[in-house]
Amino acid sequence: MPRPRYRSRSLRRVQKKMPGGKTKQVYVKKKPGLHKCAECGAELKGIPRLSATKAKNIAKTKKRPERIYGGFLCNKCARAKLKQEARLSKA
Amino acid sequence: MFKIGRLCIKITGRDAGKKCIIIDIVDKNHVLIDGQTRRRKCNVKHLEPLTQVLKVTKNAPRTEIIRVFKTLNIDIKETKPKKKAERPKKTRKKKERKEKLPVEKKKTAKTITKTKPETSKDTKGAITEKEK
Repeated sequence: MPRPRYRSRSLRRVQKKMPGGKTKQVYVKKKPGLHKCAECGAELKGIPRLSATKAKNIAKTKKRPERIYGGFLCNKCARAKLKQEARLSKA
Repeated sequence: MFKIGRLCIKITGRDAGKKCIIIDIVDKNHVLIDGQTRRRKCNVKHLEPLTQVLKVTKNAPRTEIIRVFKTLNIDIKETKPKKKAERPKKTRKKKERKEKLPVEKKKTAKTITKTKPETSKDTKGAITEKEK
């Protein structure tokens, strides 16, 4: 039976080889999920997978693209949306 | 479609969503733009044209573009190049060193070899004198 704090699944379990040659189960922190486009669900690029505490110490420019809708829509959807807005503003 | 004076919206890049005017046509696919965006060359695919066409001279200066955008009730920041302030030069603190007595170097094989080319130079000079 593992230790009580390792019984929950909030930590990932990894089989790792020890220097002695034996394999051992190691408990590793889970990575946060990928950021996705709000419209098409595609994976957003240029966004680091960091926990909230670590993301706090990073500059805003390093956390998302320096574009309108950056970090919210993918570049394709942002382009399409801006095009649509421009065409609606004509009328 | 893309002619000088056409009002456009930029769709891509960090200037996306900003309005600009075409100032010049570079080639089939590229134009020069200025306005709320930076003044730069731009691919036609990165622009969405609007209906308005404004009167602008070819390669219009920034002042003219600001004036034209005022007619559209759009204010553009006037960018002036900053005056470069002189940086304070770093100066190292000089430590007071104890004066070392000059040590006489012992003559080694290397020092002897160095003296050789000097003699050759003299001979070269002698040759040139002869040639004269």
